[in-house]
Amino acid sequence: MSENAISVRGLRKSYDQFEAVRGIDFEVASGEVFGLLGPNGAGKTTTVEILEGLRPRTGGEVAVLDHDPGIQVNELKQRIGVCLQATTLSDKLKVSEALALFASFYRRSVDRDALLKRLQLWDKRNTFYSKLSGGQKQRVALALALLNDPQLLFLDEPTTGLDPQVRLEIHSLIQELKDNRRTILLTTHYIEEAERLCDRVAIIDEGRIIAIGTPREIQARTLGQSRIELTASAPFPQSEMPALTGAVSPVFSSDGARLTVQSTAPGKTLAEIVKWMDHHALEIVDIHLQRPTLEDAFIELTGKKLRD
Amino acid sequence: MNAYIALTRTYLLLTLRDRAALFFSFVMPLMFFFLFSQMMHAERGTAVLVVNMVLTIAILATGLFGAGLRATTDRETNILRRFKVAPISPAPILVASFVVGIFNFLPVFVVVLVLSNLLYGMPIPRNLLSLAAFAFVGLLAFRAIGMMVASVANSMQEANILIQCLYLPMLFLSGATIPLSIMPEWVQSVGQFLPATHLFSGMQSIIVTGESLAHNLTAFFALVLTLLVGAFIGIKLFRWEKEERLPASAKLWVLGVLAPFVLIGMYQARSKENVARNKMFDRELSRREVLLVHNTRIFTGDGTVIEHGAVLVRDGKIAEVYSGQSPTAKDLKATDIDGAGKTLLPGLIDVHVHLGAPGGVYEKPEDYRAESTLKHALAAYLYSGVMAVKSVGDATAAVLDERAKIQSGVQLGAELFVSGPMFTAEGGHGTEYLKADWMKQLPENARKMMTDDFVRTPKTPAEARDQVDALSKRGVDAIKAIMEAGGPGQLFNRMDASILNAIVEAAHAHKLPVSVHTGSPQDISDTLAARADSIEHGAMHQLISADLLDRIKSQGVFYDPTLAVFEGVMDFASGKTDLLERSLVQQVGPAKLIAGTTKFLKANAGKQPVFNLDFPNRNLLAAYQHGVTLVTGTDAGNMLVIHGPTVHREMQLWVKAGIPPSVALQSATWNAARLLHASDRIGLIKKGYEASFMLIDGDPTKDITATERISTMLFKGERIRRQGLFEDER
Repeated sequence: MSENAISVRGLRKSYDQFEAVRGIDFEVASGEVFGLLGPNGAGKTTTVEILEGLRPRTGGEVAVLDHDPGIQVNELKQRIGVCLQATTLSDKLKVSEALALFASFYRRSVDRDALLKRLQLWDKRNTFYSKLSGGQKQRVALALALLNDPQLLFLDEPTTGLDPQVRLEIHSLIQELKDNRRTILLTTHYIEEAERLCDRVAIIDEGRIIAIGTPREIQARTLGQSRIELTASAPFPQSEMPALTGAVSPVFSSDGARLTVQSTAPGKTLAEIVKWMDHHALEIVDIHLQRPTLEDAFIELTGKKLRD
Repeated sequence: MNAYIALTRTYLLLTLRDRAALFFSFVMPLMFFFLFSQMMHAERGTAVLVVNMVLTIAILATGLFGAGLRATTDRETNILRRFKVAPISPAPILVASFVVGIFNFLPVFVVVLVLSNLLYGMPIPRNLLSLAAFAFVGLLAFRAIGMMVASVANSMQEANILIQCLYLPMLFLSGATIPLSIMPEWVQSVGQFLPATHLFSGMQSIIVTGESLAHNLTAFFALVLTLLVGAFIGIKLFRWEKEERLPASAKLWVLGVLAPFVLIGMYQARSKENVARNKMFDRELSRREVLLVHNTRIFTGDGTVIEHGAVLVRDGKIAEVYSGQSPTAKDLKATDIDGAGKTLLPGLIDVHVHLGAPGGVYEKPEDYRAESTLKHALAAYLYSGVMAVKSVGDATAAVLDERAKIQSGVQLGAELFVSGPMFTAEGGHGTEYLKADWMKQLPENARKMMTDDFVRTPKTPAEARDQVDALSKRGVDAIKAIMEAGGPGQLFNRMDASILNAIVEAAHAHKLPVSVHTGSPQDISDTLAARADSIEHGAMHQLISADLLDRIKSQGVFYDPTLAVFEGVMDFASGKTDLLERSLVQQVGPAKLIAGTTKFLKANAGKQPVFNLDFPNRNLLAAYQHGVTLVTGTDAGNMLVIHGPTVHREMQLWVKAGIPPSVALQSATWNAARLLHASDRIGLIKKGYEASFMLIDGDPTKDITATERISTMLFKGERIRRQGLFEDER
């Protein structure tokens, strides 16, 4: 088996006249959590569904766990786990029954009781699907995806539409999977989800990958600057301000005690300011450093916001 | 394999938890069962129909709604989408749906059969396995149709519309709710395109007439084909997501699933076989009514009279004869018929008729229609209470065809016994008809039928034997021979006695009774020597000697005086129209025939008859006094003996000749049945005998004309709506 769980080269997909995916390339290494980040309609789900074997592709080469999803689809399905963007089960099916049913489709399956306990569904195992909360339903969907102890997990927008509390729950579950070195392909349009969970991210827009790398690398690649905000015990001696490395347009508040400055080298800038304050025996009352976000990078790269 | 079991289990659980599914699968069929049972009085013999209706409706519902809507719902709500990312094919989903269908239907099948047995006394069908196989294949075929609809419909609405389009016509045009036979024939033909119709009539044939799967192979294989094609299309066009579009061309597959029935429908539209079959089933059903005729006088047929009694009818047979007080109709769960002041007597029998001859003349020869005359004659007999007749000289093939139609129940009319062609000599009596003028007016095929099939003129005993053997193979019920040399003005060649001996011998080898037309004591003597079974006409111009009568008596030969035909000949010669004016004759005789004959008779008005009833009357009375067994035959079809109330007139003439009414009645029932070799099932009011009898006003043992006043009539258990007998004539 190759090192890459997924390898995509020049993938294209057209629906009639519309080109949903316009030639994308990426690899997902074994044990990696890889994020596809992009706005609605960017081509994320199409890409994932091609990899899952649900849709035929128009062009390009794809290998998932060394299988071509367009050909060896059933073999592939035995080895992957999928959590769809929206999972629906029959209303009157109990949680444990749903798991038993889906387990029957696979050659091997994990201990279902342990899985239920791990996903905090044990108490709900005899509850009808229709009686579950949104978060519980999503955990059931995750449980179904994990039933066959998959080598590769696809999570398609696993937290979309869930309230913040539930989203955090799901995040910690994914974090746990990540800690177990499971390979995951995650799509999301939540920046913080990608930042928090993904080893690497590809930003996808209008069917093309426009940036790929660790979240940090992508942020660094942007022109965006960090913002430093300092409040001193007394007004700054503004006239004596030294030249600060990398800093742009320092601004003082009306009382002169608060300084806001943008910098491309925030570490150096901050050290120089602190040194300056020391020199004038000013104490730091409050300090705030804000790094440029993935969102800033995204806005810069695509010219649009992720969520409208 | 695991997936098959797990899916089946899951679908079963879901069905059991779905109140709507439970209601439609189990509760609704039972509601229909009780509703139909109440409406149709299941306890009085219609339970078989109710069972069949309920099973068909249940199959339609579980098939179309159960399979079709569930599959569509699962797809449209994206439940199937989750299955799609798992390693599973459509096959286990289809199979699970089939198994669930069987589990849904099985309780209905069992409960309906058991309940109808316990509550309404319906016997468990003899061919239970055939019924089960047929019903369950039907069920699966309908589930396949449901799955196919789910596959081609692009939304819930589309699926709903398609299913309703299939369900409603199949509900109303298949016979499952409205009997097919009451609909216009073209509607029945449309129904033949629907799988449900074949499902219904197949089950009907198995439950009602006790046929097996083998009798319903066409329908069975059409259902199997639908099942296979439906399953194939279901898998081929299976869609896991609503977003998946169906190419328009794929919808053509739908034709495939209904193709077997389109072919059957087209065939049936031409042949109308099933239209006839439906009539038969309906007849079979109407022969199952449970009835009680009570508080009545019963003339049993063998001379016994029960002054106060009752008769219970079930499944077309006499189930019980009560003397004195009987249980009430309510106790017996029977339809109640009050017989106060009336007499119940077995259906009358005429052992000597010629159905092809009309009994009069038409003004325009083209008004005589060879193809409808037999049918009308038999309906006219039944109308008049003459429930069995023996044809003793007709175009054999035509009467055999007619007999088959009556036997199957497709056509309603008196039971028909067929003698083959008349055995006579070359140039003997019988052959003169073939040279008559009216023969030339017959259509070519009818004329050919007459010349080939009306008489047999064997030249040697061996030839006669071969001819009898051949007729037996064709299924005749009796043999008719003619021994008469004619009289003044009309001389015939007479058959050689050795040939008659050979005929009787061969006929008896096949257990066929032989009736011999006689004209003189010599003819009677030769008939007795040949050991034939009945003497027809007797002697017209001479007295039969006491010695000869003793021989008739001691040999147990039946004597049929046919006074009615002599009266007809006499009245015709003198231009008397009285016989045409009898009430029953007016009711059953074709109007144009009566008008034509009346007009024709005017030419003879006032003339002296050349012949009188003196010898026939005296011979009859003497025969009776010698203890000879008498039977009633009338030679109907001859001049002025119009098919219908023939036996009534014959008995009236007997009584005038001095025969006691009860002897005439016994001759017309029990004795005649014995001559027909049918006395184990007709001719008596007795437990186990066919329920073919009539209730008449008054007491015919005192006034023989009472037999014409028919109040109620049953034929093989079916209550006959007499005015309906001629309904389809035009």
